[in-house]
Amino acid sequence: MNVESIRSEIKEIIGRVASIDPGTITDNASFVDDLDLDSLSLLEIGVDVDYAFKLGVPEERLQELRTVQDSVELVLEKFKNRTENLALAGEGS
Amino acid sequence: MSRPRIAVTGIGLVTPLGLGRKTVWKRLLEGHCGIAPVRSYDTSRFNVHLGAEVEDFNPETYFENTDPNAVGQASQFAVGAARMALTDASIASGDIDPGRVAVVMGTTSGEPREVERFNDHFVSGEHEKIDENFIGLYPCHVIAGIISEEFGFGGPNVMIPVACAAGNYAMAHGFDLLRAGRADVVLAGGADSFSRITYTGFARLGAVAPELCQPFDKNRRGMVPGEGAAVLVLETVQRARERGAPIYAEIGGYGLSCDAHHMTAADPDGAARAMAMALVMARVLPTAVSYISAHGTGTPTNDRQETKAVKRVFGERIARRVPISSIKSMIGHTMGAASAIEAAVCSLAVASQKVPPTIHLETADPECDLDYVANEAREIPVEVAMNNAYAFGGNNASVIFQKCQIQ
Amino acid sequence: MSSRRRVVVTGMGLVSTLGFSPRSVHENLVRGLDGFGPIQLFDTEQLSVRTAGEIAFEAEEHLGTGRNLRPLDRTARLVIAAAARTLDSSGLAEVEIGSQLVGLVLGSMFGSVHSIAAFDRRALIAGPSYAKPLQFANSVINAAAGQTAIWHGLKGINSTIAGGSLAGLSALGYATDLVRDGRIDTVLAGGGEELCNESFFGFLKAGRLAGSRNGAPARSVPFDADRNGFALAEGAALCSLEAEETARGRGAEVLAEILGHGNAFDASRGREAASAAAAIARGGAAALADAGLNAEEIDLLSLSGNGSPEGDRHEALGLAEIFGERLAEIPCLVVKAGLGESLGASGGFQTVMLIEAARRGSIPGIPGLKRLGVQIPLKTLSTGPRHLSPWGDRPRLGLIHALGLDGGTSSLVVAIHPPSNSGSLAGEQAS
Repeated sequence: MNVESIRSEIKEIIGRVASIDPGTITDNASFVDDLDLDSLSLLEIGVDVDYAFKLGVPEERLQELRTVQDSVELVLEKFKNRTENLALAGEGS
Repeated sequence: MSRPRIAVTGIGLVTPLGLGRKTVWKRLLEGHCGIAPVRSYDTSRFNVHLGAEVEDFNPETYFENTDPNAVGQASQFAVGAARMALTDASIASGDIDPGRVAVVMGTTSGEPREVERFNDHFVSGEHEKIDENFIGLYPCHVIAGIISEEFGFGGPNVMIPVACAAGNYAMAHGFDLLRAGRADVVLAGGADSFSRITYTGFARLGAVAPELCQPFDKNRRGMVPGEGAAVLVLETVQRARERGAPIYAEIGGYGLSCDAHHMTAADPDGAARAMAMALVMARVLPTAVSYISAHGTGTPTNDRQETKAVKRVFGERIARRVPISSIKSMIGHTMGAASAIEAAVCSLAVASQKVPPTIHLETADPECDLDYVANEAREIPVEVAMNNAYAFGGNNASVIFQKCQIQ
Repeated sequence: MSSRRRVVVTGMGLVSTLGFSPRSVHENLVRGLDGFGPIQLFDTEQLSVRTAGEIAFEAEEHLGTGRNLRPLDRTARLVIAAAARTLDSSGLAEVEIGSQLVGLVLGSMFGSVHSIAAFDRRALIAGPSYAKPLQFANSVINAAAGQTAIWHGLKGINSTIAGGSLAGLSALGYATDLVRDGRIDTVLAGGGEELCNESFFGFLKAGRLAGSRNGAPARSVPFDADRNGFALAEGAALCSLEAEETARGRGAEVLAEILGHGNAFDASRGREAASAAAAIARGGAAALADAGLNAEEIDLLSLSGNGSPEGDRHEALGLAEIFGERLAEIPCLVVKAGLGESLGASGGFQTVMLIEAARRGSIPGIPGLKRLGVQIPLKTLSTGPRHLSPWGDRPRLGLIHALGLDGGTSSLVVAIHPPSNSGSLAGEQAS
């Protein structure tokens, strides 16, 4: 999964939670300042992103997400860790 | 013509700290904690495990005319609390016109376990196993209905599901029913049963305390979902006097308001308006308030916002002098029962001139800098007690209980 | 002196299967239309009953596209839309709402049992950490009232009243007392309920829907001899109640005055006809006494009848205890004939539509009514509309009765004022 498709899926999720057209969401949009989302909606986005990408992110990390870009980076970071873990597991066996 | 005054003459309690007025009051004053790892279902998939569940409650003890096994758990608690309250008020069935007894109950979730059972079968595709009586067991109004059925009461029967402020809404409505002469006696209270829905929700919001429920402590990390029921017997002071019934306290007035701001995040402005309205209705000055039973859930936001709201109404100087405590530190957040149990606490504080502590309060929080009756109960003059409750939906309710002066 | 204040209705709003204004619903009911059709909201393929009163409701059409609708469940959307229409109808929309501290008392049987159940199912299937926060906020039964307050900025007293099919009427009574006693000056009150698979499935399993017992064809005709249950439906209907002086102060038109109300409970919870009838009579008598009226003075009734074999009979028996033989002569509105059993919303519909029908001078009939059931002496009922005699020199006095599904009963007494263009001086002659 490349960065663009991750970003696009995240925008889809945000679009659903904020009931706006995902096409209108910029890459650096802030959930609160640009999209006017409240704390529950932020948490909802975190849960949906976590679920969509099967990340298993700890509670605290979800609450830190502030922008579209934060969410993309979280997914990338988790994917990177997962690949490294898989690689490590592969080496160990 | 002066309006009738309304007295509390009976108290029934089903709580995580025990059953009945005497036991619960003693344990609250001694600072016991009824919070423990959840027993009623498996929390291994959660990152929190504490709950406040009712122990050793045998519904058979309280049901005489109806079948306790044919109703949900919140209804069982409610009937238990109602029977205890009637006994406590020394009201036997022959003493009253059953058509003039009203029942007003509050709840957050009604009988959520019935939805859970529905879902267990729905999700597994076993539709045929869904209880034919789902519709007779689940809707929250059955809680008040089952009380009236058990005791044969035919007066107004009102269910007020205003979430975690519902108990106070029930007190307020009971007060109005009696004042308007719509009933001779009102059983007013709240009931809720422990449920995976409630637990899952608060856990998902990150609102459940991992180790301790520590309202107003700097290191507080959340609330603890609980269950229980409380029922208070309300009647006019005149009626209580005529039948020689002891009066715990008199309801002075109430205030209700809505934040219209956010479903789950409280706004101190709404809470302050409810407190102010209650003081005005009861014609009580802020300086006359001897005790506040806080909503005090133990979440970082609630306790900070409630503190702000109290200061806004009372002013900094007076606010610092009023003892405030949260029994949720001991019995968790019993949802729709919470403010009904706390209404009993306010009545008992007035009657016994003692106030229960906030336990686990170790570290002062600069944003919660009032007198929270840390860890030890106090014996103080209690003329006026204010009961605060706040709910999802932005609903705020404050009720005033005061010493019943001899006429 | 603490004399009670008078409480008037200054606006009405609704969303229903038969239209989005009292006027259009009245026209459709008079035409003999009903709002029942195949269910689209959920899959009914495996079910023996597949029709209900489902509203073709596009939230954006009613609530606009400018605000985030996602946090709102269907119940909340219906209620917000009805509240918007009520605020418009009363002229309160033009008043600075925040400063007025308008309240809301909403009757609802379930809140949204769908949100509650869907929240639980997601957690069951995906695991508790994937439970949906927005759905949890809506899992409290008072969610629709809270969401409506947020949407419209209603900062006054906000309460939710349950009680099955009497919740809406009970909410109107509760709100009336709040205004009378000076707790609040202006409050929206009524009810709202959504159609969803959980409630539909539950009523179907319990055999309460028309056509759900013994494979008999559905017949949800209220008070008919061959009725066999109700048609489940949804909607929301509210009235704006104001202290009379508040309404007069802002020059609002007074549609009706609420004169009194009374609730009672049948401790047999609907199992014994005599006990059920006695409770209805007790609640009705309380309402009349509260209004300072005798049963003889009531001109119109708005009934709870929904096609339920037991409920309809109990209602008729109870009303017969109040009105005696005159019950056979009083014109009755039975809104559930066309709108179905919308549970918590139905008391709102019963009230709004009685006021509307009386002001328009015609009471819709019960399409499909062939023969009245046993012990149902409601002889004014017929398939077609009934035209009322011209307005006299006083308001028409109506009693609205709602029967709960398991023991509750609620009555509300109203004085309905003629439309201001009819030549009478609207509102000036209420006694």
